[in-house]
Amino acid sequence: MVRTYETVFITQPTLTEDDERAAIDALAEVVSTGGGVFTTNDRMGRRRLAYPIQKFEDGVYTRFLYDSEPTVPKELDRRLRINDKVIRHMTVCLEPDWAVAAKEQAVRDAQIRAETEAARAAGLLPEEGAETGPGRAEGGRDRDREDDEAEYEERD
Amino acid sequence: MGMRDEGGGGRGRGGGGGGGPRTGGRRRFLFRRRKYCKFCEDKARWIDYKDVRTLQNYIPERAKILPRRISGTCATHQRQLMQAIKRARTIALVPFTSD
Repeated sequence: MVRTYETVFITQPTLTEDDERAAIDALAEVVSTGGGVFTTNDRMGRRRLAYPIQKFEDGVYTRFLYDSEPTVPKELDRRLRINDKVIRHMTVCLEPDWAVAAKEQAVRDAQIRAETEAARAAGLLPEEGAETGPGRAEGGRDRDREDDEAEYEERD
Repeated sequence: MGMRDEGGGGRGRGGGGGGGPRTGGRRRFLFRRRKYCKFCEDKARWIDYKDVRTLQNYIPERAKILPRRISGTCATHQRQLMQAIKRARTIALVPFTSD
């Protein structure tokens, strides 16, 4: 049965750009030879890890979103575990009704990224570095956080 | 008839007496804003484990998951939130603990 999987893995931050690309391409190859269909192969970029892994404080995140038979993530998992350039990985099987939304979102994100990149290349936008993060969030969710937290402290 | 009416009025004011034992207890200080599930309001259909900005709202200082009784999240969404936070932890987007 074809399902949608999302694999996120972290590669060593010390790799050169070429090594990194080679490693990622080799892993992407596993998916396509196994009959998987990519929605995105997204380099989420380098970011600080929440805790050190193998003594690395930073890591380069890559995200695969693909449809395939369950054999593909199994093989991919095996490869990821062998590969010592990859310091952490995780595969998630998406619920069918969420998968559609996730794929749409991914396509939209890719489009936006392509557009901004094109605009920047054309010199329309000023250079801006710190804009990419793996998640986009809406503000306004933390209105009454302060008294909540005060209460939390008080009780425990 | 008149007597019964008076009895009803008295119950409304007195609280704890005989009518409702649970009505009085929680109103300690001022009126506290009613808690509600922010995910239900947003109609967010799925809580993305990569969306650190959102998750951060539910992991206070010590990086524990904020309990439902504090955040007011509904049971369904609390479960999804828990799953998302745990996933985010395994790929180091969010800490297990912090000091």
